[in-house]
Amino acid sequence: MQSRARTYPFEVVIPVVSDRVKRAAGGVAAGAVGLTMSVIGVTAPQAAASSADDPVVFHVGLRNDVDSFNPFLGIEATSFEMWALMYDQLITYSPKDMSPQPGLASDWTTSDDGLTWTFTIRDDVKWSDGEKLTADDVAFTLNRILDGGPEAATWLAYMGSVESVEATDPTTVVMKLSQPNSSLPLLPIPIVPEHIWSDISEEEVKSYANEDEVVGSGPFRYVEGTAGGSTYRFEVNPNYWGEQPKIDEIVYTVYQADDPMVQALKTGEIDFAEDVPALQLDALNGEDGIKTQLGTSPAFEEIAFNTGSVDLDTGEPIGDPNPAVLDPAFRYALGFAIDRDLLVERAYQGAGEAGDTIIPSAYSNYHYDPPDDLAWSYDPERAAELLDEAGYTMGDDGLRTMPDGSPIGSLRLLARSESEESVNTMDYFQEWLDDLGIDSEVTTMESGKLTNVILDGEFDAFEWGWYVEPDPTTMLSYMTCGQRGSWSDSWYCNPEYDRLYQQQGSETDEQARADMVKRMQEILYRDAPYLVYIYDKIGEAYRCDRFEGFQQQPDPGGVLIFQYGVQSYLDMYPVTECGQGQGSDQAAADDGGGLGTGAVVGVGVAALAAIGAVAGILLHRRSTADERE
Amino acid sequence: MSAPTSTLVAEAETQQTQPEKRRGGQWRYVGSKLLGSFGALMFVLVFNFFLFRVIPADPARTLARNRLVSQEQVDELTRTLGLDQPLHQQFLTYLQNTFSGELGLSFKYRVPVSDLIIDRFWPTLLLVGTSTILASLIGIYLGMVSAWNRGKVVDHMSTGSSLTLYSMPEWWLGLVLIAVFAVGAGPIPKLFPVSGLHSTDVDPNSFVGGLDTAWHLTLPVITLTLAYLAEYSLIMRSSLLDEMGEDYLTTARAKGLRDVYVRRRHATRNALLPTFTLAVLNLGFIVQGAITIETVFSIPGLGLLTTEALEVPDYPVLQGTFLFFSVAVILANLVANLLYGWLDPRVRS
Repeated sequence: MQSRARTYPFEVVIPVVSDRVKRAAGGVAAGAVGLTMSVIGVTAPQAAASSADDPVVFHVGLRNDVDSFNPFLGIEATSFEMWALMYDQLITYSPKDMSPQPGLASDWTTSDDGLTWTFTIRDDVKWSDGEKLTADDVAFTLNRILDGGPEAATWLAYMGSVESVEATDPTTVVMKLSQPNSSLPLLPIPIVPEHIWSDISEEEVKSYANEDEVVGSGPFRYVEGTAGGSTYRFEVNPNYWGEQPKIDEIVYTVYQADDPMVQALKTGEIDFAEDVPALQLDALNGEDGIKTQLGTSPAFEEIAFNTGSVDLDTGEPIGDPNPAVLDPAFRYALGFAIDRDLLVERAYQGAGEAGDTIIPSAYSNYHYDPPDDLAWSYDPERAAELLDEAGYTMGDDGLRTMPDGSPIGSLRLLARSESEESVNTMDYFQEWLDDLGIDSEVTTMESGKLTNVILDGEFDAFEWGWYVEPDPTTMLSYMTCGQRGSWSDSWYCNPEYDRLYQQQGSETDEQARADMVKRMQEILYRDAPYLVYIYDKIGEAYRCDRFEGFQQQPDPGGVLIFQYGVQSYLDMYPVTECGQGQGSDQAAADDGGGLGTGAVVGVGVAALAAIGAVAGILLHRRSTADERE
Repeated sequence: MSAPTSTLVAEAETQQTQPEKRRGGQWRYVGSKLLGSFGALMFVLVFNFFLFRVIPADPARTLARNRLVSQEQVDELTRTLGLDQPLHQQFLTYLQNTFSGELGLSFKYRVPVSDLIIDRFWPTLLLVGTSTILASLIGIYLGMVSAWNRGKVVDHMSTGSSLTLYSMPEWWLGLVLIAVFAVGAGPIPKLFPVSGLHSTDVDPNSFVGGLDTAWHLTLPVITLTLAYLAEYSLIMRSSLLDEMGEDYLTTARAKGLRDVYVRRRHATRNALLPTFTLAVLNLGFIVQGAITIETVFSIPGLGLLTTEALEVPDYPVLQGTFLFFSVAVILANLVANLLYGWLDPRVRS
């Protein structure tokens, strides 16, 4: 027995077990922890101690991560925000309604036939490494996209009918188009420096992270972090051509859950929390030194119908849409069955406003306001009336029938499992349909699966949403015949709509184009492939005792950051108390508060632990001595 | 995690009944374990590829949604991602790449998967590794104390509290700790940061940076340690109780050895075997990270990397991480098997 025991190598693993030694060991361990803590407590505030020279750091908490700092690769909204800090675009966007404003291009003209665009590039722009930014850099960037490859995979469609881009002199860029393009001068493409990127081949671009010594022309320089790594640091770009920001650094921290982000705002670890759920926002209301808002964001959610899925080659119907949802009159009638305000209130906790068309009201220029006799409101009686008129009359069993008297059957309503709002909305919709005498059933699935189901045409209605860009072309295109089987998810096809789509795409008169865009929305409204029910709002909260002066976009009512352009980052300034104006007192963000307490407690714990350890050891000595005797 | 333990014990028992072979038995034992591990690895390699392709989503479409992107661009993206190839061709490419040590490019991040894994490995190792070690040490200790004081207050307290902690959702425990120690509640001041791995204004490679990281990791490590504790303490407690009834302890006492000595040198050593197995097996699970805790404390570890990759789905990342996890578990099993054979001669004979 003993000889075997000797072969066990556990001597090191076994914690010492004698009663007395136990106390000593505990004391020592506690002492070690306390010591570590006090060291941290004492050293950390030194690093963060505030003095007049300390940089003003703006800490932002986010809920979504960056996927790539390479503007030719990333797709996440967060990545776009980062690129906007690092790089300029030819134009930028007005805070009011995101209309084009001079950016790198101080001026632009278009020829009478709309086929030649001439941009005048500012001549006072330097890259962050001191090199001069010229028209060549612009032409280089845009030609890389026209050349195909991974750059094109991301950006080509935005170039529209642009066929060539040429720098005719250091301050002039000339674009030749195959046909007029109403999207110009909006071109949301970050301009990159030729002297850096010309060394990166098309093959290398595919996996180029763009994280080391990044050279850009934007107001901030990217100095630390790696895509997906949750923390990103930006420093002000001293060479920036525009108005210098009033902060020195921005640090973004990505939180994987809402609660910790909100807590971090409360403790002052961050100064700004982006994308806070409405419920959490309520909880923050009234906290000292914190302001909250729900900012309008140009996005909507809709209940979409299968308006006729077909095989694109043969034109034969595919899938199995319920014949009722194929009828525009049926779909339009259901628009009156939805209580939008209730959905905003209950399913979205107030984070939004009732919506109607696919171009959100934030784009006041393009948004179509349905006239009263057309506009949906929550009016079940009107819905029932319209259904009766269209022949969907109530049968003997309390269910409505098809105009030919056959039963409608049960409508399949699909909701996205990753969105609670989506599921709740469809549950309400089912009840409302039930009130009207229409049977339906809600099925929940992941959006990946839903995409396949939509492409197979095996659905009647689903819930999803879109984000809408300042140029309406992208959103409008999703409803064209050509997008069926691709990005169209309602299988909508209307030649009149398509004709207008083509027309507005090359109409260079702004007002005439806006009229066409509104006419297209009216067509969609009447045909009702989508029942748009909410324009999203994003919850934002910030420490008004640290920073003020944010610029909403759209103004009024819009979001404070994650906008088009960087105006808000340029306008904001540090303060020492809420509601302070700019320039009042020298304000430096106080970073050391929590650490200070930490230090005190750390020292205290260490002292206690040390006493405990000594006592433990003494006790141990004495008791083992007793035992030995 | 107790299932593998019992299998191992069962295995040990069956092997024990086999006829004894004095020469070469040891090598045969090692060889069979190596071969088994290799087989498991090959299976994982093949299985990995098909497992994630069952997810009903098209990565190219997910990546291109909500931007102005023509169908040609989606097709181009599909080509870039290599998804236009027939499945068997993709499979062959995958095998070829994997065997030449290439895990491919992430669909989402567009950087080599191996870089991603290495980047995310350290936070995970620091977090889960530290917690596992702490939990096993403290757990073993608690288990011993409980066993010796069986039925007394100490036993009830230790067993009760570790079971309570075990049955609490980790994320909830984490949130409570944040609310108390990172925000401050009542008389307790804010002691720790809410989340993250390190502050941005210190160099993580410096001494201060190391302390800063330790400071950030304190709460998540405490959370995980508390959650893992019961696993070790309960097994240690029960196996020690089993040993304490054995005759050899009575013999040892009869020989005049002190109680403390008998417990420490005799009972504990034998009782440690199952706990030891559990600890070694858990080493393999460390790399998988702790998704919930990484989420609550926003620590960019391997667990998060994997869950995020599911959304796309980012096949190369999923294949890479799962291969990595499998290798770790298989290695840990192998090590446990070999060490077990070495520690307990009954197993290898």
